[in-house]
Amino acid sequence: MFKERYSHMNAQIQPSAQLLQAVLNAAYGSNLPKSRNALRLKRSAVALTALCICLTLAMPALAATVAPIYRLMYLVSPGTAQFFMPVQTSSEDNGIKMEVVSAYIHDETAEIYVTMQDLTGDRIDGTTDLFDSYSINRPFDSAAHCELAGYKEDTKTAMFLITIDEWGGQNIAGDKITFSVGGFLSHKSRYESLEIPIRLSDIPDAEQTQTVSPNGGGGRDNEGYLEFEKNPIALIPAAPMDVLSVDGIDLTGIAYIDGKLHIQTAIKEPLDNDHHGFFYLKDKTGTQIDGNYSFSFSNQYEQPGRIDYHEYVFDIPREKLAEYSLYGDFVTSGMKTEGKWQVTFPLKDAE
Amino acid sequence: MKPQSLRGEDCAEEVIRVYSNLVYRLAFARTGTTYDADEIFQEVFLRYIKKRPVFENEDHRKAWFIKVTVNCSKKLWGSAWKRKTVPLAENLVFETKEDTDLYNELQKLPPKYREVIHLFYYEDLSTEEIARVLERKSATVRTQLTRARVLLKNLLKEEYDV
Repeated sequence: MFKERYSHMNAQIQPSAQLLQAVLNAAYGSNLPKSRNALRLKRSAVALTALCICLTLAMPALAATVAPIYRLMYLVSPGTAQFFMPVQTSSEDNGIKMEVVSAYIHDETAEIYVTMQDLTGDRIDGTTDLFDSYSINRPFDSAAHCELAGYKEDTKTAMFLITIDEWGGQNIAGDKITFSVGGFLSHKSRYESLEIPIRLSDIPDAEQTQTVSPNGGGGRDNEGYLEFEKNPIALIPAAPMDVLSVDGIDLTGIAYIDGKLHIQTAIKEPLDNDHHGFFYLKDKTGTQIDGNYSFSFSNQYEQPGRIDYHEYVFDIPREKLAEYSLYGDFVTSGMKTEGKWQVTFPLKDAE
Repeated sequence: MKPQSLRGEDCAEEVIRVYSNLVYRLAFARTGTTYDADEIFQEVFLRYIKKRPVFENEDHRKAWFIKVTVNCSKKLWGSAWKRKTVPLAENLVFETKEDTDLYNELQKLPPKYREVIHLFYYEDLSTEEIARVLERKSATVRTQLTRARVLLKNLLKEEYDV
């Protein structure tokens, strides 16, 4: 087995006693090994030289056409690309205005507040979600993420908080950040602890099954699934069952396969809505039992009309199933809005 | 409620000892050399000592160490210093020929594949947990894992049940 082989090899890899002691000394307030500091100086010098060369060569071209080459430049040298990006703290497209409210560095975290306001309708609401349509370009290595921080109903304005940290102690004040958004979802509905009115004692064996090529999966026993079931066995999708009353998510099958309960849902055009959810069982005491694993597959990827199927699998013997009730939590979005919004702004030290 | 650290400031030694192998082995998995793993090991714990982040629980602490180790590995890999230096020959000696062969075959994989293989098979993270900690889509992680396994199977001539 690969896992055992790999573990055996890894067991022989560990930090030396000297290295571990050096780090422990640092924790006690001592210095790290001197060679490390020397290394840092060498790296800084090389990096500075490289940056100067890049700036010299790139400046004439950049001055002429900043925007078209920005993406390419950012791939090659984020620092240079961001240096030349002009500051633009607001952006408007498709009747939606994006604006930077503040961009300050507090302690070791940079916090940036950006608003998005619908100037013409009510596409922005308190459930607005940028999903994976945004990017945060910055000229230094760091971790960054963006989340909805608040919503103001009277002005139809959503505020997002961008947090950047882990930049290695460099001075980043004055460095410019570019935040881009290509679309958002809104008008989401949440269904929590939704009881599915289905008699579990009547669940049959699947009459027909199919082997599918999965495009995702999860659950507490997913590792076993990945190890031994590279191509899982799934239900054949049936017509939507009316026991699931969630707009956008269809229940297309529930049956036993090889002694395990399979529950299947279908979501049309998933890239346009990000509908999602999961099922769980509850016993008579209200204790929740999650599925053992889940996997997903699609009817096709290339053409319009994509349907993603999600199959949730419970390793529950049929004779015990009558002791449980089926529940689910789901989130659906009612609207997707596309556009191109981009702001560039410098970070400032908070006084 | 503000999250509380599970360990006080005086327990940094314990935290370092607990997570030392995790950080070192992940760094080694990604970079393939003990020299780079040494460098990343120091960088990760230096950040921990300087920042003293607060975690809600040990899972979050583990995720932090994994994320920072991967970020530091990427930073080292992409640095101007790294690109302009010739790597030292690795002098790590494994116990068995099988270990050495496996190490050599793993080095033929791209670092991002080795990283996913390590987190899945050694740290026992699910693909969704890997996706969260690496800030990738779970479908991407799953694809990378599948491709890595296919490559490994080819490289090892189906010697191992990957």
